[in-house]
Amino acid sequence: MTDQPRFAHASEAELARILNYYGVRWEYEPRTFPILWNTDGKVVESFSPDFYLPELEVYVELTTLKQSLVRRKNRKLRRLRELYPDIRVKLFYGKDFRALMLKYGRFDLAASLSGLEGQLMPERLDRQPSLRLAVPARPVESAAPRLPVVDRESAEAEPVGASDHPRPSRGTRRRRGRRAFIGAEES
Amino acid sequence: MRADVADILITEEQIHAKVAELGGRIGADYSSSSVTLVSVLKGSLPFMADLMRAIKMPVTIDLMEVSSYGGASTETSGLVRILKDLSSSIAGKDVLIVEDIIDTGLTLNYLLRYLRGKSPRSLRICALLDKPARRLVEINIDYLGFTIPDEFVVGYGLDFGEFYRNLPFIGVLRRELYETT
Repeated sequence: MTDQPRFAHASEAELARILNYYGVRWEYEPRTFPILWNTDGKVVESFSPDFYLPELEVYVELTTLKQSLVRRKNRKLRRLRELYPDIRVKLFYGKDFRALMLKYGRFDLAASLSGLEGQLMPERLDRQPSLRLAVPARPVESAAPRLPVVDRESAEAEPVGASDHPRPSRGTRRRRGRRAFIGAEES
Repeated sequence: MRADVADILITEEQIHAKVAELGGRIGADYSSSSVTLVSVLKGSLPFMADLMRAIKMPVTIDLMEVSSYGGASTETSGLVRILKDLSSSIAGKDVLIVEDIIDTGLTLNYLLRYLRGKSPRSLRICALLDKPARRLVEINIDYLGFTIPDEFVVGYGLDFGEFYRNLPFIGVLRRELYETT
């Protein structure tokens, strides 16, 4: 928990902060589970849950995708559970995380993690409907500054060739996530 | 305020019936002794007030408040803090934590660790609502009122932006109040 890893997405950095806040130990992507092999026995698909909580013995996978785009991740999770029945994995959907941010009064962050504009690369924003979060008319304290967020999974969930914009490499996504995390820490 | 609620999830009558039932069960389970009810501010106040009157045995009460993530304390310390500690010792006592709602389980997990360190004879949990969809920490709830779906609920102590706590029922907040398309 002391050395911050390079988070792939700002929502992961936020979850790490929440776990730190409540004193829950975590490890970031500590293990990769092979879930599909070709006929030569080579691993062709694997799944690396985002967090492992060693004291609670549970993995946490955080997806901030639109609910309609999580089919691929759900399939991978089902496969993981079939192959590793003793492994406990909690899939935290975008709407769950967003609701959590609302609960904590982080309205701006909830909006940025809405699964629509917050999940898109900037050049794709104009193609999507806008979803904005309205802060209640009555004053609410401690609304956090909005975190910059980077795309991680909206491209991942699309069929190959469906997007004009290729998915950034993992290294690029990690660097963006790191910048987002540092930005949030400094704000 | 009522107009801000899309649906009433649990009526006032249903709450009262459930609180009476829980009070009866708690009274039966602790029949040979007294119990200390520890309410976690602020959301559980109405539940605590009704529950303690539904328990027909000697009870003592105490109040705690812990900082919540995203609150003002987040920026200063980065760690959860006890904003209001117990007023008296619970060492050797039977303690029942009274919670309004359990969702992630993070706050309660922290409280359990904290209170266990104060050596109570027993430590149990009574929660009015359980929202398992968002659970991160598995918690064994000894006395549970209702399991609810993953909706944004307010009323009977539950708030949105500190409002709606005084609604006598538990309702689903209208979506357009916290988001617009």
